[in-house]
Order: sequence, then structure tokens, then C-alpha cells
Amino acid sequence: MIKVLVYVFLLCASAQGFTANITIKNSSNEPLANAVVWLTASGSTEITAPEAPYAMSQQNREFIPRILVVPQNAKVEFPNADSIMHHVYSFSKAKTFELKLYKEQPKAPIIFDQTGVVELGCNIHDWMLGYIVVVDSTVFAITDENGKANLQTGAGEYTLSVWHSGFSDISNVETKDMIVGTQSLEYKVKQEVAAQIDFATDEFDDY
Amino acid sequence: MIINRTLTFVFLVSILFFSAALHAQVKGLIQVRAVQGDDNTSFQDGGVGLYRHDTKSDELILSQGILDFNVDLASSWSAHGVLNLNQDPDVGLGLTQAYIKYQPLTDSKYKWHVRGGGFYPLMSLENPDIGWTSPYNYTNSAINSWIGEELRTVGIEATLKRPAKRFNSKHSFSFVGATFKGNDPTGTLLAWRGFALHDRQTTFNEGVNIGPIASLNEFDLRWQSGRVLPFEEVDGRFGYYAGVHWDYLKKSQFRVYYYDNNGDPSTVNYSSGQYAWDTRFASVAWLYKFNSKTRVIAQLLNGETEMGANALIDNAFYSHYLMLSHKEGKHRVSVRYDYFKVTDNDTTAFDPNASHGEGVTATWRYQLSNSWQLGVEGSALKSFIKNRAASGFAQRISQQQIMLNAQWRF
Repeated sequence: MIKVLVYVFLLCASAQGFTANITIKNSSNEPLANAVVWLTASGSTEITAPEAPYAMSQQNREFIPRILVVPQNAKVEFPNADSIMHHVYSFSKAKTFELKLYKEQPKAPIIFDQTGVVELGCNIHDWMLGYIVVVDSTVFAITDENGKANLQTGAGEYTLSVWHSGFSDISNVETKDMIVGTQSLEYKVKQEVAAQIDFATDEFDDY
Repeated sequence: MIINRTLTFVFLVSILFFSAALHAQVKGLIQVRAVQGDDNTSFQDGGVGLYRHDTKSDELILSQGILDFNVDLASSWSAHGVLNLNQDPDVGLGLTQAYIKYQPLTDSKYKWHVRGGGFYPLMSLENPDIGWTSPYNYTNSAINSWIGEELRTVGIEATLKRPAKRFNSKHSFSFVGATFKGNDPTGTLLAWRGFALHDRQTTFNEGVNIGPIASLNEFDLRWQSGRVLPFEEVDGRFGYYAGVHWDYLKKSQFRVYYYDNNGDPSTVNYSSGQYAWDTRFASVAWLYKFNSKTRVIAQLLNGETEMGANALIDNAFYSHYLMLSHKEGKHRVSVRYDYFKVTDNDTTAFDPNASHGEGVTATWRYQLSNSWQLGVEGSALKSFIKNRAASGFAQRISQQQIMLNAQWRF
């Protein structure tokens, strides 16, 4: 009887969808900001990426956002808001490409059909560094300053994946199988996470 | 002249050659200036004044007319050109830079690129704006006034870079090496006129007036023209320079260069009246951002130059500046102190080359819109130049100038 009730409860929760609160901590047990988290349902079927493209902009000689998470097969545009050219490239396994981008001259979006981490650079401004994380899920988020993220999903069994740009090997995604219910979740990453270094760049630093 | 024609040719041919995938970025700047100068005629007009302007310039003049081309030739190839229109001392149009850049995309964390053609070595941190102009003061430091008038790489430069971000490090390093032709008369102005304070860049097809130098009437200097053609090749030898850039978080930027034009002082081009000067120097530049608004820029130049057989002319030169710049909203205020000195180390009594001086320059710029900028600058300059006496001028003079600038860019 109890089993049936639990199933009914899970079904209801699943049908309505709810927000799973997750906290990511580093190996020293401190909250880890800017971690990418996503949930993949066990025995998951193929995911459908939205038709509308995502955007990875270049503004004031930086990638905005620094980290973009997209579902597999998503389209991504690369609008350049600066008055100078950017030469965006990636040599990552998940997507190798190069684009010369000018203001108000958009190029066709690129489809990211392989999962994995795509590291972006600009051949002209070598301090520009950005990431597109292509995931096999539509349930994903980036943790805030308190290491917290909210994932809109249904209850059930999932694989939690966690990635951070401070990993020494950025292709090394950590995963853990877990049951998502009403309780808050917590995950402690195993790898060391290098601190993000902030650079004081401005318009005269190309020289 | 030959260099100018060659550069123009290379520039145009490369554009045509790669024209299939042509994509150009064209930017421009027009700057108009009203100046209240002093009575000392500018060196540009054959006087002993060390500013670009004098009382003759007390009317509106075109101080900068710049067209900057950046043509995308292929994935890793681009062509760059800077065309300058000037009206002083004479109306003229010419290139100050024209080069091809090869910057391959590479999977390596180290990056490299090569420039070939005519361009500035990136020694200074004062002139990062379009067409090697300064976003800080209108009148360049003594060091960069000189580099702008007498120094330009006409050759090949290679840079290997270790970008900080690719190594998750706070430090970036660049290693630069170049070899070049031309630049044999470089050093001429320092010997006879001394350092100056201005923003008049010499185009590849121009010469610069040396001013009234009595010793040029002497038998030993009879071949020397009254105008220096700084980018000429005289001795057929290659010059070289090497530099290191070290950035810490882009907050501190440090550049050190050693330059040697490897001139053969015994050679002279009799038809153009240009000697080869053996000019070599070290330059150290530092930029430090206290925060996003306030920065300090400093540079130091120390070198020697020699011309003529048996060290007919042998001089040491030295200059430094310290500049403080603060940006508050649409306002930028920059104040700079310059010191400069030329020491005469030869025994040629009829040709004294010693000079020294110092200057203070204060500039306020107001950004009206993205395209329009207004600005005011005041500058004062004291100089002592030994050879002025032989031409009937006071050796020691004080100069001042005030200017209003309006600039439009696209």
C-alpha cells in the first residue's frame, strides 16, 4: 500500500514538475560558484533542442556569457557587439570551428551536435576565453555564489553531472546517480578547482 | 621613396591577390585644432622651436587625418594600412604603416604571429589608439615624438606569446624579434635638433626639416641634406630589435626592447644627402592601472648614435616620461612630465650636439558621443641646445602652447 502511495506521489510530482535545489561544494566543503550541473534521466530518450538559437556574444572584448550551457543539437549564434573584428575559434573535440565576426554582420548559427565542453578563444584577443557546455539534457543550470542551482524537473532517478571551468582537465565531467525527490541535494566535487583569475582589460589592451 | 613605393605595391598586390575572400574594416579619425603657440618658429618650418606649432599656426589646422584599413585576406592573413593626411608643413598624403600579418589559428596554448612590411615596433604604451595616436595627451612624449618621426620597422617581425588565460596564470609573456632595412638616417634629428614634443608622424614618403644648423655648412658635413629622410636605406645592412612584454593580469604591462639599426656610419647616399647613423638604444615602458579609472604610464629610452668616418659625430641620448591619466565618466585628464638629453661624445668642435630639456603637458578630453570628442591641452617646454648659438639663436628657450581640439571618428 505504502509502495503504491509513493508511486502515486512520485507520479504526481513528476506530472506537475518541481524545482530540485542542489548545492555544489568544492573538496574543502565550500560552496562552488559557476559550476555547470545537469540531470539526465536514467534510460533517457532523445532530447529535443529548442528551435530558437542560443547566443554567445562578444562584448567589450569578452565572451558574454562566459559559460553557455546548451542541449545537444542546439543552435548557437555568435553576435559581435564590439566595433572591432573577433576571430572566434575552437579546437575542442565536441566542435572545431572558426568564425570571423564583425558588428552587425551575423553569421549563420552553428549546431552543436556532440556533447562535451567546447573551449572558445579569439585569435585576436588572446585573453578572451569562453565555454559552451553541450549536454544530453534539457535540465541544466549554473550555480550561484552560494553554490546553489535550481533544476526544473520531475522526481525520479537521474544521473547528476557536474563540470567547472577550473578543472585541470576540462573534459573531465563528474557524474553521480541519484534519486531526485523533494529533499535538497548536495554534491561535493572530487577534483581540485582552480580559482578564476580576473583580468583588468580595456579597449587599449589590444596594442 | 623606394621603400614607400615598395610598401604601397606590396599592400595593393596582396589585397588583389587575396581579393576573393576580402573583408575590410575601415576606420577613420579627423582631428581639427586651434593653437595658441609661441614666437619660436617650429622645426617643421625651419626654426628652432620644438613644438609642432608656432604663432603661424594660430588658426584652425587639420592635426590628424587618419584612415585605418584592416583587410581580412584569408583565415590567418590580414593586411593593415594607415593613411595620413597632413597640412603642415606642407599638404601631403602618405602611409605611416602598411603591413601584412600572418596569425595562424593554433591548438597550442602558445600563440605566434608574424608582421611583414612597414610598421611601428610596439615599444611604447602611450600610442594604442587608431593610427598610433594617443588617447591620453595630444602632444606625444619626447620619446614617442621621436619614434613617430624617425623610426619605423621596414622588415619582418615575429612574436611568440604565452597568453596568461590559456595557462590559467596571472602572467602573460611575449617575445618579439625583428629584422629590417631602412631607418639608416634614424638619429639625425636627435643630433642636430634634439628631442621635440609633437604628434606629427612622418609618412614613408616624407622628410623632416632639421632646422638651422650652422655646422652643415662645414666641409665635413657638405653632403648632409637639410631634411632627414628617416626611413631610407643607405648602407645595405640589416638592423634588428628584440623585445619582451610581461603583463600581470593586464593590470601591469611591462615592455623592454633593444634596438640596433646596425648602421654603417661611414656610408652616405650622396644624391639624397643621407648618412647612415649607427643608432642603438634600449627602451623600457611600464603601464600600471591603479583601478579601471586611473593609470600611470612611464617610459625610458637610453642609447647612442654615431655618424661619419672616425666617429665624426658620436652622441648618447636619453629621455624619460611619467604620465598620470584619470578617466571619470566622459572626462579624461592626463598629465605628463618629460625629460630629454643628448650628450656630445665626439671631438668634432665645429658641430656641437649637446642638448637637454624638460616639459609638462596637461590634457583634458571630453567624449561628447561615440564619434565626437573635444579637448584642451596646455604644455610648457624648456630646452637648451648648444648649436643654436652658431645660428644666432639663444641656446636656452622656453616655450608654451595651448590648443583646442575637436575630433571625429568612425
